[in-house]
Amino acid sequence: MRRTLSALVAVSSFVLATHAQAQTPPGYPADYAALIDAAKKEGKVIVYATTDASSANPLVKDFEALYPGIKVEYSDLNSTELYNRFIAESAAKNGTGDVIWSSAMDLQVKLVNDGLALTYASPEIKALPKWAVWKDAAYGTTYEPIAFVYNKRLVPEADVPKDHTALMKLIEAKPDVYKGKITAYDPERSGVGYLFFNEDIQYFPAAWDLFKAMGKANAKFYTSAGAMMERVASGEHLIAYGVFGSYALARTKKDPNTGIVLPSDFTLVTSRVAFISKAAKNPNAAKLFLDYMLSKRGQTIVEKADLYTLRADVEGEASLTAVSKVIGDRAKPVPIDETLLANLDQTKRLAFLSRWQHAKKGQ
Amino acid sequence: MPTTIYRFIVLGLTILAVAVPLSLVIYQAFLTAPFFDPSAKFSFGAFSFVFADDDFWQAFRTTIIVAAGMAAIAVPLGALLAFVMVRTDIPGKHILEPMILIPIFVSAVVVAFGYVVAIGPVGIFSTLAKDVLGFVPWNLYSMTSLVIIAGLTHVPHVYLYSAAALRGLGTDLEEAARISGANPLRVALHVSLPMIMPAILFAGVLVFFLGFELFGLPLVLGDPQDVLVLSTYLYKLTNKLGVPSYQLMAVVVVVIIAITAPLVFMQRLLLRQAQRYVSVRGKGQKSQPLRLHGWRWIALALVVVWLAFTVAVPLSGIALRSFVVTWGEGVKLLDVLTLDHYRELLDYPNVIRGIVNTLGIGVIGGAAAVICYAAIAVAIHRWNSGWTRVVDYIVMVPRAMPGLVAGLALLWVFLFVPFLAPLKSTMFSIWLAYSIVWLAYGMRLISGTLLQVGPELEEAARVAGASDLRAKRDVTVPLIKYGMLASWLLIFLIFVREYSTGIYLLGPGTEVIGSLLVSLWGTGAVDLVSALSVVNVVMIGAGLAVAIRLGVRLHG
Repeated sequence: MRRTLSALVAVSSFVLATHAQAQTPPGYPADYAALIDAAKKEGKVIVYATTDASSANPLVKDFEALYPGIKVEYSDLNSTELYNRFIAESAAKNGTGDVIWSSAMDLQVKLVNDGLALTYASPEIKALPKWAVWKDAAYGTTYEPIAFVYNKRLVPEADVPKDHTALMKLIEAKPDVYKGKITAYDPERSGVGYLFFNEDIQYFPAAWDLFKAMGKANAKFYTSAGAMMERVASGEHLIAYGVFGSYALARTKKDPNTGIVLPSDFTLVTSRVAFISKAAKNPNAAKLFLDYMLSKRGQTIVEKADLYTLRADVEGEASLTAVSKVIGDRAKPVPIDETLLANLDQTKRLAFLSRWQHAKKGQ
Repeated sequence: MPTTIYRFIVLGLTILAVAVPLSLVIYQAFLTAPFFDPSAKFSFGAFSFVFADDDFWQAFRTTIIVAAGMAAIAVPLGALLAFVMVRTDIPGKHILEPMILIPIFVSAVVVAFGYVVAIGPVGIFSTLAKDVLGFVPWNLYSMTSLVIIAGLTHVPHVYLYSAAALRGLGTDLEEAARISGANPLRVALHVSLPMIMPAILFAGVLVFFLGFELFGLPLVLGDPQDVLVLSTYLYKLTNKLGVPSYQLMAVVVVVIIAITAPLVFMQRLLLRQAQRYVSVRGKGQKSQPLRLHGWRWIALALVVVWLAFTVAVPLSGIALRSFVVTWGEGVKLLDVLTLDHYRELLDYPNVIRGIVNTLGIGVIGGAAAVICYAAIAVAIHRWNSGWTRVVDYIVMVPRAMPGLVAGLALLWVFLFVPFLAPLKSTMFSIWLAYSIVWLAYGMRLISGTLLQVGPELEEAARVAGASDLRAKRDVTVPLIKYGMLASWLLIFLIFVREYSTGIYLLGPGTEVIGSLLVSLWGTGAVDLVSALSVVNVVMIGAGLAVAIRLGVRLHG
């Protein structure tokens, strides 16, 4: 059975391969057709990702339509599980994900730094922002602004904070209204929360005062974006600080009661980082998938899935161009490079967390 | 095949299945890096780090309080409930019976979320209470609420154990007490329940264990107030270092095992005289339900109140959420009704596979697991050997590991044991993980039933010339048929609801609903979470109805 199957796959991939040579995307090297052939022989690509399968489904389907004969096996995991699973499987050397795609930027950079990624210069590099490519191994794939989300029913228009300072002033000016009504990621329990708060400190000099103000206002800190947005929508909380724009946009499209603010003083931008595993069993298909995700065609789908494209040549609501229109050059993408490793430094972390514990109490 | 060989084969396999992942975890606790990392060295560093952490001690205290509180609530209520359901003429028994089990159907994350929608600060019932009273008289996010909810939702676990034991118990003593003028409560407290004390104690210890493993409830209800238990502390711990750390997780697991092992020892001391409880003798008897008279309505009212709180409130919350776009303060629910969330489910590629796999692991996997548990239980039944004590300890250990860590340990086993590697991405790996984690659970149910089969029945068979194994197969096993069925039902429910154990072993083709819910919850797709939860509840409810039908028929 298995032999017949692989024979079938071999035959069909041969037929399709002769077909594919004409398909080499414009601007790609001439030998790309050989890569496509090799990928079709592999027949599949295994993707480990933190993006949930429902959001990624259009991307997967479109890739399979573009390269018939290559199946995408897509697994969504949370970032900690993805990391744990990937390092164990890499060490065991009997199969792991081919493409590793995660929103935990610091962990991704660590994995690349630890030598678990394959070096591969994608032909799409020139179309990408500089900060989004590191060592020809780690690639940013999205451009997700970190936003404030608020409850449109219950927060009067005049109160909606336009930037970080306005938020701080609002909390301080109306303690009765906003006590217990502000919410954010918990930097103590969530890696994403830690990353966001640390970046805030770089761009916002009064960041610690803002954190203290939140502490005084008895803000509630959560470990998932879902929990935060659901509770803002219900009115249990009124304003969520620091939520992935992608999740927020998807929510506001369905639920007209929530609104998004991209803070005008600066807006952090994060990116889901992808790399090809050194232990990949299907390295050629993995290259194809990575190139596809970064290509104009792939990024158009990324935009449609509300994940925010990072290519300047793709238009739409969830795009770099749309974000730039709102906040201009005050978008601050978190660069994908070794500075993220400093985030994982234990001494630095514990120092931050002990200061945070005071701030949380309003001290 | 002589019994001794059978016993040692079963024993060997059991010990292997538990000891391999366990020893990996313990070994990991004493290293500086993941065990497969060449730079890993022997060290106590992980222990000193965890023990120096204030959060650890806080989580530790909270866990003890939650586990003890849970057991204190669930054990008496569950045992009484079993008495009322099995022994008395409470009205509507056939409707109540499947309803009682609902709290164990639904994954705890879903129950917790249902409570947020129903009685959270701006929940449906809270808003109603606010309209009437002017304030909300409860605080869902307090420690007390967590303990009460955890306790009440674990009543069915105790109920199942106690009811299975009661069914195997003759009613002559109860009738004697009744004739002597004892009221039903007195009969329950002084005659019936003391006779099933082994089952109740087993259940009590297990509920206490479950307290250590509790994850979904504290994750959702403890989130806003930062109420940490040991299983959610694992998350915080990971974040302190920035990088997920195997050795620190392993240390927490070792600590939990160190606490639970003495408990098992205590339990053994309590049960040393288990022979005393033998009550199914080699004679037939038809039991009469106890007449409650006026008490039957009081009993019914209490059961209904409990059901309303643990089933109706959270499930109405989650069901309502699945039909609306948004909810909460200032929302008119009629304006926001929708069916879109269910339509969206159909677009979701993994849902169908997830549902099929979930049913498969529950029905087929559950049956396979029960057969394994019965094989072990029969092997050690009435075996006067030190090995039985070894098995008693060893089956408890996996339950002491948080499901997530147990799943990770099994992933290691599948990765680094060469001949197991090809099975890694099949449902077999998930089945094995589930079966090992719930070993104590299923085995206790079966051995509780086994204890009530008098030794003279097997002895009679042997006197008539049957070999030891044949006596077990043809006498003992048929006698515990009812216990095995109840066990299958329980394992079905547990496997279908399970969400944390399989996470590390999941891949395309091995999705289960529980894990889909957890991954969707993280990304904010609450619409899908609520719709999928409702589908899950309906699916299991239907399955349960069928099982109860079969069970009742088989019983008659």
